[in-house]
Amino acid sequence: MTTRKVRFKKLNTKTQLPVLREDQIDPNEYESLTNEAQIQTGVEQAEENEYHLQSILKASGVSSDQEIPVPPPQESDIKYEQLYSRKVQQTVSYLRFSQTVEECVGCEYDMTTEDAEFLTGYNRGKKQAVRLSEDDFERLMECFERTAAFQAPFAVVDKAVVPYDAMMGALRELDDDKLMGYAKDIYEYWKTRRQEAGNKPVHPSLKFESHQETDDMDPYVCFRRREVRQTRKTRNRDLQSGEKVKRLRREIEEARQLLLTSRDLELKKQEALLIESKIFDRRAKIKQTKVKLGIKTNDEDLINQKVGKRCAFVALEIAANLLQPQKRKAVEPSPTVRPPPTPQLRVPLRPDARSVEPDMVLLSDKRADKENELRLDIESKVQNHQTWNKNHVDLTKGPLSPVSQSGFERRYRQVKAQFPLTPPASQEDAEPNEGNTNGSGVGLELMSHQDRSLLSPSPQPEFRMRIGRLGRMWVDRRGLFSEPFDAVGNSNDRWKYDSDSEDETDVIVMDPNDTRALKFRATIPLPPAHQLTANRRYAYPPGYVPRTGAISQPPIRMGQSQPQAQAQSQAQGTSS
Amino acid sequence: MTGDSRATSESPRQKSIATPETICAGCIAMVEKDGGYRRAEILSKKTTKSGTQFYCNFDQFNKRLDEWVPLVRVDFTKEVEWPNPDKDKPKEGKGKKGSAPSKKSVALKKGQKRPSKASKNSKREQSISVSEATTPHPWTELPVELPQLKIEESNERGAIDSNAVATPATAGDEMDLDDEYDSQLAKKKRADGNGLGGGYTREQEIEKLRTSGSMTQNPAEISRIRNISKVQFGKFDLFPWYFSPYPEAYTQEDLIFICEFCLNYFCDNKPFTRHRQKCTLLHPPGNELYRDDHVSFFEIDGRRQRTWCRNLCLLSKMFLDHKTLYYDVDPFLFYVMTCKDDQGFHVVGYFSKEKESADGYNVACILTLPQYQRKGYGRLLIQFSYELSRIEKKLGSPEKPLSDLGLLSYRQYWSENILDLIIACNEREEKITIESISEQLAMTPQDVEHTLQALKMQVYHRGEHKLVIPDKLIQQRAKAKLKKKRVLDPARIQWKPPVFSAASRTWAW
Repeated sequence: MTTRKVRFKKLNTKTQLPVLREDQIDPNEYESLTNEAQIQTGVEQAEENEYHLQSILKASGVSSDQEIPVPPPQESDIKYEQLYSRKVQQTVSYLRFSQTVEECVGCEYDMTTEDAEFLTGYNRGKKQAVRLSEDDFERLMECFERTAAFQAPFAVVDKAVVPYDAMMGALRELDDDKLMGYAKDIYEYWKTRRQEAGNKPVHPSLKFESHQETDDMDPYVCFRRREVRQTRKTRNRDLQSGEKVKRLRREIEEARQLLLTSRDLELKKQEALLIESKIFDRRAKIKQTKVKLGIKTNDEDLINQKVGKRCAFVALEIAANLLQPQKRKAVEPSPTVRPPPTPQLRVPLRPDARSVEPDMVLLSDKRADKENELRLDIESKVQNHQTWNKNHVDLTKGPLSPVSQSGFERRYRQVKAQFPLTPPASQEDAEPNEGNTNGSGVGLELMSHQDRSLLSPSPQPEFRMRIGRLGRMWVDRRGLFSEPFDAVGNSNDRWKYDSDSEDETDVIVMDPNDTRALKFRATIPLPPAHQLTANRRYAYPPGYVPRTGAISQPPIRMGQSQPQAQAQSQAQGTSS
Repeated sequence: MTGDSRATSESPRQKSIATPETICAGCIAMVEKDGGYRRAEILSKKTTKSGTQFYCNFDQFNKRLDEWVPLVRVDFTKEVEWPNPDKDKPKEGKGKKGSAPSKKSVALKKGQKRPSKASKNSKREQSISVSEATTPHPWTELPVELPQLKIEESNERGAIDSNAVATPATAGDEMDLDDEYDSQLAKKKRADGNGLGGGYTREQEIEKLRTSGSMTQNPAEISRIRNISKVQFGKFDLFPWYFSPYPEAYTQEDLIFICEFCLNYFCDNKPFTRHRQKCTLLHPPGNELYRDDHVSFFEIDGRRQRTWCRNLCLLSKMFLDHKTLYYDVDPFLFYVMTCKDDQGFHVVGYFSKEKESADGYNVACILTLPQYQRKGYGRLLIQFSYELSRIEKKLGSPEKPLSDLGLLSYRQYWSENILDLIIACNEREEKITIESISEQLAMTPQDVEHTLQALKMQVYHRGEHKLVIPDKLIQQRAKAKLKKKRVLDPARIQWKPPVFSAASRTWAW
């Protein structure tokens, strides 16, 4: 057989594979193609080469009459029909069932042969009627076992035997007086059985973990509990649940208040209804009396009364609400639940109390009224103000202005159209400098890039500087003409194309004290001129090529302040 | 479980003639099995009325064929390999030992492939060391005590062994297998080197159990001696294959009784009869998901039905080697297949499934009870597991390792379904991708490839991957189809994938 040197392309699961039958390709070729497969069977390695499995796998695909031999099951000789006597009921729908085994097996104690022998002995010589039945025996045993498991869970270790008295509670729960007669005897029997079994439950049980070291190697210990997966505890989660609890509490309190208020409301309503019906009765009486006495006038009374009544009702409501302001507050978050009668408040009370049906109110009228009202109000306030200030003389120059310092106060100065030849060193010049006729550097810088042509027709721009609290500097300007602000444009961009001469370098408005600018400057690498010192300081590796490109083209051009910034950053570098 | 046992172990073992008195647990002797003599490791020794008996694990035979043999079946004319005193020490340089002189000619022939075998046996040694030192209940011994015990043993035998010290171990392959097969095996093993179950320590193993939710277990955990001899279950008496942690007292019994419906266990006929009078259960305690004329499926939550599921696990552990009952049943759902008659819904088989599988497994353990095996029920169980995956819109695969029987059942299911699919493709002259096969069958692409390779259908021919269906498979499939094997009708499944909230995941299991 020739060894083929074909390199297999790895088969992608998405590759379209042609499906052929064996006879559709050259049989000789097929033979040589098929023996390289190394198949991972997924069987434990040590078992993979077991004789029976391999002999079947070897004949893979061929219908094998071979089987893996197993110990054969055999028909049992028990009386199956007798043991499994219950018949299943046919159901049309699929069964649904959720009871547990414990709920289906009745008494959990099953009598052993030994128990049966004891019971026959115990019942011997007794009359049929007073014999203890197997079922009752099991119930008693179950009761003892259960109580013991509950009261002395570590009986195996501490050898504690639950005394008979302790069983009484559980026995009473059986609620069967005739059992009580046997209980003591069966208890004694149960006790001996327990002792025989080493104080373990009479029925052998599965071995669960006892949290001893022997657990791990003991193959009989089974069904260990899996450790609970911890949810991660974070401050945020704590906070969230705290908030949730608070909100819950608040909402429940609100709901409670709401209920109380609505209860009150209903009571009041009831009261009102009672009054109304009383009024109705009275009125009916009046009517009768009137008819009787033949009084024709004053029929209006009956209706007037009604408006008055409604008025009273409203008053009642308001009173109720005033009495319990905090309750009212509670109602507020849910205006939809507000008691229906409140709209009555808005019904304008007619001074003439003419009719039950209010006139149609026009919105325009209402609006005019409102406006009128407002105007009057304002007028009266203006009036008031004037009367208040009638004889007032203000002796202070504005109570909140900072205390004036003689000589510190400055007049407005005119801007001289002059460019500073040396840019002010920001550190020093930024400091307030008294007597500096040129004004502060800030002012200068601010003004220096003003377009003169723009300013010339307008009055000369002026400025002054003040020192505010905490040494803040204020530059007041006046006479500046500013273009209407372009909503889209960046204020810095405003000057972008404004330079009238090519020599003039672009200047960008910046506050030299702005920390952002300071930070930025600190990040700018040193220009080549400063490399020497830098090299000395940092001892770059020999292969290091300083990235000059970055330096020659800083992202923001600093204009005249650039050399200064560099100087500064250098200074920082040396000092740090 | 394993056939290879000590037989293929690397460290040289001392050999000499033994007598019925000196032979002990841990020895490898020639024992008669099925009419021939076969190397067997003696795992335990007991004396009964009829004489001394030895619990033997036969080389290259599955553990389920282990048995108690009387003295007469042991061949005392042949030398016995004694247990190695220093096998607890960490092994070094096992790869170096090459072709060793051996009494068997077959072994000689295979010398060259031993290293690969040996490297894998390191893990096996661990498991052996746990159980072999003492006789009646090896598993109760702590591993710490072992070295001491072993040294004593070796001292006892010092005189006998001294002349045999230089004799290295034999390679234990008795089977007369041809060379090609052997080399194939060796290659396969190499490929598997880091694969499944590759050398876990015990701690790693438990940690893996804890975190992955696996229900399978490693050899190091296996108690190697079957502890229940016979089980009465339904209409049958079953002979367990493997160890199961029923209460230790039950191992004394010749026969234990298990209620067919609630799966409770009884050591005696009397309590069992009493129980049967009271037990009202007639079907697995869960909801029915599927019903046809033949079988029904029930879904049972391990957490809600803890007792029942534990009982089921104890029962199935007797027939599943790689199942572990180390942890509780809470994180599993159990899908139980039953067949119905007047007496009720009888459990035929089941598979368990993690409520949430990190590895995307759709089956953790799967078993057809022995009395129902070889009747096509396994295929139904497997089909059902894939139908559920299909409803979940997931691709599923059974958890590894598979048992020998598991592998065969799955291979059969996979190959039948893939064949049907691609034969149809061939008839329509269409191309097909592995991905589309995997989606149509809810199988993982790895399993599809695995099957295609196992059936030698995936070939690389003229620069292109192709699927080639061998004629014999086509014929075989046609023949099988005539047999009208039962399949499930997916339309009858009434099931919605259960959803478990984060809270229940945190607190419920």
